Amino acid sequence: MTPAASALAGILALASSGQQIPPGAAPAAGIGAPKGPQLSGPELDKRTDDIGALLRCPVCQGLSVADSPATMARNMKAEVREKLAKGYDQEQILAYFERSYGEFVRLEPPMRGVNWLVWFGPVAGLLAGGAVIAWAMKRSRGGPAAAGGRDVAFAAPAASELPSRDTVPADPKLAAAVRRVRMLAYGWPQGFSPKAGS
Amino acid sequence: MIRPEPARRSRVNPKVLVVGLVVALPLLAVLVANLGRDPHSVRSPLVGRPAPAFSLVPVGGGAPVALEKVKGKPVVINFWATWCVPCFEEHAALTAAARGLPDVQFLGIVYEDEETRTQEFLRQRPSAYPSLFDPEGKAAIAYGVFGVPETFFIDGSGRIVDKYVGPMTRSTIAALVARAKEGAR
Repeated sequence: MTPAASALAGILALASSGQQIPPGAAPAAGIGAPKGPQLSGPELDKRTDDIGALLRCPVCQGLSVADSPATMARNMKAEVREKLAKGYDQEQILAYFERSYGEFVRLEPPMRGVNWLVWFGPVAGLLAGGAVIAWAMKRSRGGPAAAGGRDVAFAAPAASELPSRDTVPADPKLAAAVRRVRMLAYGWPQGFSPKAGS
Repeated sequence: MIRPEPARRSRVNPKVLVVGLVVALPLLAVLVANLGRDPHSVRSPLVGRPAPAFSLVPVGGGAPVALEKVKGKPVVINFWATWCVPCFEEHAALTAAARGLPDVQFLGIVYEDEETRTQEFLRQRPSAYPSLFDPEGKAAIAYGVFGVPETFFIDGSGRIVDKYVGPMTRSTIAALVARAKEGAR
């Protein structure tokens, strides 16, 4: 007798005193007695697809049980079908899968606790973003005065305030520097070309 | 006259700072909270709850084995498949652990595999514990299995103490079995 067979014999000896449970007939733990009607025919097919669309296939990337061709998804769909035929309702069936896989298995998270953020967070974010854009647009339309005078220092000076081309700063060092730059850039230190100055 | 350059002030806009902190701090908190987490230790909603019941036929046939019938001593349930390389790697460790821990019931549950291939695998690599066939995947669904290998450690009262994802070594098995034994006290 192999070790595995011996271990199996041990389990079966232990089990021989009790009632035999048919294969795969474990009760649906934790979801209570069926609350809905026992479905069959086209209604059973439709409801199986409907509930399959609400369940995430655990071995796929973002696919529902109804859409996935994976064996696991097929098995889960068969489980949904079997439970609908026994009279379990949608919420009981979703709760059954949630007990083993967690809330992750629901493609539509139930509206409770932190899930409110998932449902209404994007809308709230959109509204907040719109409000910020509206505020910024209103602020820019009002001009520098509306901005609290913060940009006044950087506003373009009036034409009368601009120095003419041939002026130099009062500071002798700065004036010498301006002349040197003019010499390097244009070839003459004054503001105008000597040829044009007639 | 050249106007003097206005003095540059480097100051932080408090509104921008607050908004930035509100966005960045929760993300940072999530990152820090998960830094030390073992990726193999997947929190299952079943941990701490009674192990889902099953009754499955052993590979090769015979009377069905029900979890209920092995209640009273720690149970290790290993979901595996012949096409899974990590399952092949941990097979020897599980077999050795099952031989060395006669007070613990080891059970294999075959996940999405063919019975003939499984029989051939076990013929070439004898196991010290029974492997059960789960043709419709009901046990895998009830245990919330995502893939293989996944191993559940159940205490003597039938409560799931741990779930381990990935190939196990003898030391990992020993440590988790010890916790299952503690849970039984």
